[in-house]
Amino acid sequence: MSDAKVLIVDDEASIRRFLRVTLTSQGYTVFEAASGKDTLTRVAEDKPDAVILDLGLPDIDGIEVTRLLREWTQIPIIILSVRGAEKDKVAALDAGADDYLTKPFGVGELLARLRAALRRSAKAPDDPVFTSGNLKVDLSKRLVTVAGKETSLTPNEYGLLRVMVIHAGKVLTHHHLLREVWGTEYGDEFHMLHVNISNLRRKVESDPARPQLIVTEPGVGYRLKAGE
Amino acid sequence: MKLESKTQKKAVNWRAYLAGLGMVVLATLLAYLVHTFFAPANIIMIYPLCVTISAILGGLGPSIMVSILSVLVFDYFFVPPFFTFAVDDTQYIFSFIVLLLVGITISYLTSRIRQQTETAKLRERETAALYALGRDLAISSDIESYIASIARRIKEALGHEVMIFLPDTANHGNLKRYTGAPDTVSAKNELAAAALSFQRREKVVTDNAARYLPLVTARGVVGVMALKTIDPSVELTDEQERLLGAYTDLVAVALEGIQLSEELHNTQVLKATEKLQTALLNAISHDLRTPLVSVIGTLSSLQEEGLALDDAAKKNLIQVAREEADHLNHLITNLLDESRIEAGAIRLSKQLSEVQDLVGATLEQMGSRAGARSIKIDIPQEIPFINVDFGLIVQTLSNILDNAMKYSPAESPIEIKARQRNKEVHIEITDHGVGIPEEDLVNIFDKFYRIKRPDNVAGTGLGLSISKGIIEAHEGTIKAEKGSDGGTVIRVVLPVGDAAPSTAGTENE
Repeated sequence: MSDAKVLIVDDEASIRRFLRVTLTSQGYTVFEAASGKDTLTRVAEDKPDAVILDLGLPDIDGIEVTRLLREWTQIPIIILSVRGAEKDKVAALDAGADDYLTKPFGVGELLARLRAALRRSAKAPDDPVFTSGNLKVDLSKRLVTVAGKETSLTPNEYGLLRVMVIHAGKVLTHHHLLREVWGTEYGDEFHMLHVNISNLRRKVESDPARPQLIVTEPGVGYRLKAGE
Repeated sequence: MKLESKTQKKAVNWRAYLAGLGMVVLATLLAYLVHTFFAPANIIMIYPLCVTISAILGGLGPSIMVSILSVLVFDYFFVPPFFTFAVDDTQYIFSFIVLLLVGITISYLTSRIRQQTETAKLRERETAALYALGRDLAISSDIESYIASIARRIKEALGHEVMIFLPDTANHGNLKRYTGAPDTVSAKNELAAAALSFQRREKVVTDNAARYLPLVTARGVVGVMALKTIDPSVELTDEQERLLGAYTDLVAVALEGIQLSEELHNTQVLKATEKLQTALLNAISHDLRTPLVSVIGTLSSLQEEGLALDDAAKKNLIQVAREEADHLNHLITNLLDESRIEAGAIRLSKQLSEVQDLVGATLEQMGSRAGARSIKIDIPQEIPFINVDFGLIVQTLSNILDNAMKYSPAESPIEIKARQRNKEVHIEITDHGVGIPEEDLVNIFDKFYRIKRPDNVAGTGLGLSISKGIIEAHEGTIKAEKGSDGGTVIRVVLPVGDAAPSTAGTENE
């Protein structure tokens, strides 16, 4: 159960209703908005802890709403979008959204994403040690162990893993990873990223063909699954 | 094969008269040399020879002239008294009359044969010209090549540029010009003249001596053929006029034929489309409704307060409803993809992708559907990256895997194998089910094709047709083969992009 406040933004009343019932039952306090303008007002006035934002709004584009919100607030934003609109998802994530859900989605998935986003924004005490499944990463010692065994990574592989650990559970776009690890001028070197992810998986995943830790988000980027 | 013109023939005629005259002079000289040794009755024989030669070479006019000249010359030189037209012996009058009659008869008969030969030759040329066009039309399949043949053949035979005007169905039946050198200045006038000819069903001749001929068949006017005159002073000969008439009829019938076959084809296409749409609607409405049966059923049973369901039953119901809803979602995705592929609206957003990653993402996306099955993956590390639309290839692989799982026993494993062969990556998905009958291996990629099987397996038969569309959009191929133990192997072949080095050895430190 949570006592956090969540703003639901969707122009479809039935979806707002479904989300309201689900989230209220989990203890969340729920506000609603049906348009982009409304969203900007509600975030300023109701001060929610997270926003669930549909990309297809009648007045202002969801990507633009994200950009406008990011001008003054770091509130977690979870995007709702449909399959096939990968470009929009990437644009929203690059504009500062925290995560996305593809409609239709299960409640379990929604709640997990919401919890993860709230936890990240709650400014958890900086814990240098990350654990998920067999993987353990100690950022302070630059130490990576898989099933208790120390694993040596190349500087780029470690760089990638570090960024993903810091944003554990969050989807990171290709551009985002490239910029953070290699620098802005490498923003389009997708192949380099894919090769390094592939090598990293071979070192940390127990079955690289069916990754359980570093998950591909088709057309968007990668996500490191956080151990819950 | 231009038909010779009238003026040329006239020049030849004058020369024939001269030649006839020359021949008579020559014959007379020859006869004069020998007249002391030969009797006049023998000398006279040389003149019918002249008449015959002249008739063969020069025609009726020159040979009659030669006949008359012969009589006169014979009388003058060889009948006593010599060097006068007077005759002593009246029996010579009889010779003169016979000579003249023979000459005229020969002239008449020979010239008739000659004329018949000429007519036959002309007919032959006309027939050949028409036959050439007919043959062209027989091998042409569309209206453009029809008209190109017509224009070329008529230009060859008559030396005139040809334009064809046909009613344009896309433009309220207004005439549209199909050939002829683009002439923007007079294009409007041309259309107006053609329209006039079309409406009145009669020949229209414009100021610049172009002529517009309606193409009339038993069914009505099919269009207008226009002859552009290159040199207005040169008129068509009678033969050319006649040939033009024959051409007009042939073209009219040919164009009518093509219009009829187009109408027939359109009707057939329309019928086939209607049939397909009905089949599509039936299949879709059935397949969309089926999942909703359990979703609505489950929800209503949960809503029904009088219905005492224990927790296990509820859980079971909800589980089924959830799976069916997922299935419905999958179906709608496929339908959308199918319509996008058909509309040619699929836009690939390609990125270099690792085969292993594609397979992994597919299994992840399929979630519980794939989780319960034993899936063996065999992908070597050194396999190169392929330049593909990640999401669409994942969709394809999940369609193939869905099929493999549906049509093989739940406990049998499924194998995913990838290999590089030259500049291609082969991905094989093998199941150990009952397999696909040999004759169906090709058809399974057709839309809505489902093999008739006793076991009633859910599905629209859309998955593989979409997969084929997606793979072909990537310039790859997809094929179904018989597995070694009777199951099915679906082989997807995708080209390796140029800028796709293998994973191994590319560490980018």
